[in-house]
Amino acid sequence: MAAANENITADAVEATEFMDLSRKYRVTGVPKTIVNETIEIMGGLPEKMFVRQVLDLPEEPEA
Amino acid sequence: MGLLSPQDEATLKAHLSSITLPVQLVLFTQTFGGSESGDVAKQILNEIASLNDNISVIEKNFVLDTEDKAKYKIDKAPAIVILSDHTDTRMRMYGAPTGYEFVGLVEAIIVAGTGKIDLDPETMAWIQAVDTPTHIQVFSTPT
Repeated sequence: MAAANENITADAVEATEFMDLSRKYRVTGVPKTIVNETIEIMGGLPEKMFVRQVLDLPEEPEA
Repeated sequence: MGLLSPQDEATLKAHLSSITLPVQLVLFTQTFGGSESGDVAKQILNEIASLNDNISVIEKNFVLDTEDKAKYKIDKAPAIVILSDHTDTRMRMYGAPTGYEFVGLVEAIIVAGTGKIDLDPETMAWIQAVDTPTHIQVFSTPT
């Protein structure tokens, strides 16, 4: 995502190396994604679902 | 002794062969008072770079190289900044890229080295519409 848009930066953080950060963001399982200090996403998700959650886009209405 | 087996090296070399753009891996480590994972990160990056002439490693000191640290907004080490032809891709890795994280590093290098992003067109449109600063941090472990 970062490579596709200059407004986006993406960090991959090794949770056991940076324990202070892991504690700050309450990382109890991985992967855990934090967006702008506010959005928290637990686990791995399919591409569209992940991007929706990262960008805080509304969910698609169920068919 | 290398970290990669000869078979893994061959596989990785083939995977990296799609790279056509120069990729610089800027590695920030801290010599004194820093983590030993800095040495591991250095060894991993050097092994990757040895497999493709387009990939180079630039070493920086987390304490002394203050200008570059500010330029790339690095606040912890070890840190890897991935440049595509000297342009910041805004992709960072913090910690030694071992285990599953090695895969993420390789994929990021391929994005930087090919300029191709393999995402669904609709997803890409959402991403390209972002017009406010968005900082994503993904926490993971090697296993």
